[in-house]
Amino acid sequence: MGNAGMGLVLLLVCLGLSLATIDRVEPTGAAAGEWLAQETISRFGDQARVLLVSEAGEQSTQLADGFSRAIGRAPALQSGQVIGDPSDVRKALGRWATEHGRLDAIACSPGMADQLVVREAAMLFPALGQPEILRPAGSSWPRFLGRQNLLNIMGQIAVIAIVAVGMTLVVISGGIDLSVGSLVGLSAILTAAWIQWHGGGENAGTGQMLLGSLIGIGVCALIGAGTGSLVAWAGAPPFLVTLGVMLIARGTAQQLTGGESLAHLPDRFVWLGRGADWGIPNAVILMLVLYGLAEWMLRGTVFGRHLLALGGNAKAAGFAGIPVRRVQVLAYLASGCMAGLGGVVLASQLKSASPTYGDGYELMVIAAVVVGGTSLSGGQGSLLGTLIGALLIAVINNGMNLLGIDPFAQKIVLGCVILLAVLLDRLRQR
Amino acid sequence: MRTTLSRSSWTRRSAGICLAWAALVLAGCGEGNKAAKGPGSGKADAAKSPLPLVGVSLLTLDNPFFRVIGDTVTSELGKAGYKVVVVSADKDPARQSNQVQDFLQQGARAIILSPCEAKAVVPAIQEANKKAVPVFTVDIPCREDGVKIVSQVATDNLGGGREAAKGMIEALGKAGGKVAILHFKQAESCRLRVQGFREVIEAHNQANPAAKIDLVTELEGGAAKDVSFKATEDALQAHPGLRGIFAINDPSALGCRAALEKAGKADGVILVGFDGQPEGKKAIREGKIYADPIQFPDRLGQEVAQAILRHSRGEEVKPEILIPTKLYRQADAKDDPEAR
Repeated sequence: MGNAGMGLVLLLVCLGLSLATIDRVEPTGAAAGEWLAQETISRFGDQARVLLVSEAGEQSTQLADGFSRAIGRAPALQSGQVIGDPSDVRKALGRWATEHGRLDAIACSPGMADQLVVREAAMLFPALGQPEILRPAGSSWPRFLGRQNLLNIMGQIAVIAIVAVGMTLVVISGGIDLSVGSLVGLSAILTAAWIQWHGGGENAGTGQMLLGSLIGIGVCALIGAGTGSLVAWAGAPPFLVTLGVMLIARGTAQQLTGGESLAHLPDRFVWLGRGADWGIPNAVILMLVLYGLAEWMLRGTVFGRHLLALGGNAKAAGFAGIPVRRVQVLAYLASGCMAGLGGVVLASQLKSASPTYGDGYELMVIAAVVVGGTSLSGGQGSLLGTLIGALLIAVINNGMNLLGIDPFAQKIVLGCVILLAVLLDRLRQR
Repeated sequence: MRTTLSRSSWTRRSAGICLAWAALVLAGCGEGNKAAKGPGSGKADAAKSPLPLVGVSLLTLDNPFFRVIGDTVTSELGKAGYKVVVVSADKDPARQSNQVQDFLQQGARAIILSPCEAKAVVPAIQEANKKAVPVFTVDIPCREDGVKIVSQVATDNLGGGREAAKGMIEALGKAGGKVAILHFKQAESCRLRVQGFREVIEAHNQANPAAKIDLVTELEGGAAKDVSFKATEDALQAHPGLRGIFAINDPSALGCRAALEKAGKADGVILVGFDGQPEGKKAIREGKIYADPIQFPDRLGQEVAQAILRHSRGEEVKPEILIPTKLYRQADAKDDPEAR
């Protein structure tokens, strides 16, 4: 089946990227602190003179605690700690040089070990002697497979993937929706505008935020229904209708704010896009739930069957008594709705809305759908495939960023992947 | 999906393609591994660890201006022992935010941004702040609350606008006349350019009422050739006696020039641009543009690279570094190899 094939490709790409991104991953937190203390003692004895330096990041207190705990076992040791910017480290080193003179070791957090103030310490302050720079030894692990990185990938693709749910339905029905990118922007603007102008800005309550989001999604759903009606009743080609809607929606978003972006939003507004209440980002949970629902709808409901029949052969579907027009309208309505939701998630992720949001997303979304094996001629496809397609695009993008591949080459690679998917699609049709 | 026969053949073929692809990816990674480990891998010695990484996400790489910034940062920091990765945000704020996340994931020691959208980049900068990774901006500043940016390096656009006005005054001479502005309002840098331009023109009008310069219209030029071409055609229709046009960048000025040539007014209208990109300099050399306050993308790159090194050394870094422009006329273009 197509899904199994694409799933295999996704797995292979992940495997390749894992091998390609194997790198020294630095330990952090208490373990790193303890390691630094033990290394100091084992190398320089229990009368060593050591300075612990670390940037003031999330885990610096644990690092310092681990270090102090381990160093407590050697009371004769002379030590100090600095947590802060390189300028703080410089001051501390200067102070050490005048007060104590020689320094055996600088025990560094991985980040601080790379700073020039540490690397050049002996040159900057000759009184220190030649202090050894100790940094926690890293273990080899693929950066790609880091927990945070995998969560990032899911979060990064959430908006595209959510919009792709609606697009999959439209494409299965034999249509196409070019307006989704603009609808993402319009929905983001409408939501943010409601919260900023009517809901109290930074002090808006949950109710107002919810209302704003519903307005954004609702308007986009209505626009989707309008698009669908034009396609269904006027018999207009979807490519042209949605092209028109695309321009109207983008222009409206720009006009509403005069091209400016809106950012007076409450801190809690980022809950949907950036929050992670159950270990994985809320946007990702929303995405997965939507895929489950839509797959069930496509396979398990009358509407889904009608959609597949319509895309397979519209005339035959009509003769078979399927309410062709209603099904078409519903498909575009779903697409508008998902685009609206995508806009809300994007605004939440970036804690702001700009009329440029979603620019060009329609192409990424169509790419995800097609890479996922849904046929552009309609009648067949699956949500699972689209999800795999979206993930494949996200994984390739992320992997190329991690590998530091030239940005222009990135586009070429992505283009090749899409061509490859289309080729596979043709092969399968044969 | 269809018959068993076609299915088995499709499976075989697709498996072949998959394997070829995987082989390709694996081949690529083999190289990466060797490069990353280098000599003496496996030892826990500090000196043997990989080069510290600096991540750079620029507004776009389609514009040579940003490419120069990226290249300069890469070579300057490369000399100091850093590995620099430059990516293009393609003017998409969501993409830029993802790129920052990826940089943090790679363990970047510093991040340089030209924000696509000052407000939308805030959460990404805050994430870097949380991990205590220093953030710098180049060319486009971010002045939002709640973010910590070590240093913002930019062109002095206000001063540049003033220089553009001086060029215009000098070219129009005693007669003065009607002048139009091709704007790109959504960019702060361009608002500053026009602000500086207007200041000096107004001061000139007060001092020399006889040579009054009338700023008759301010049209949206989109900072692009095509939009500026149309806007200039409209401006010429509305104000036939136009004597000068200030365009906020080179593409805009060149689009404007094309419209002037089409209307047969190329000789009667003084054109002042901004930027000093090779294409713009060439036009100045050929007399198509009177003058440009030129920017120095290489200096922007050098300054931001220096700011990173100073910060890393624990030296004081100025929170804002402005690079002045220089008014560049035909005489300057004569012996500039870039203007050819």
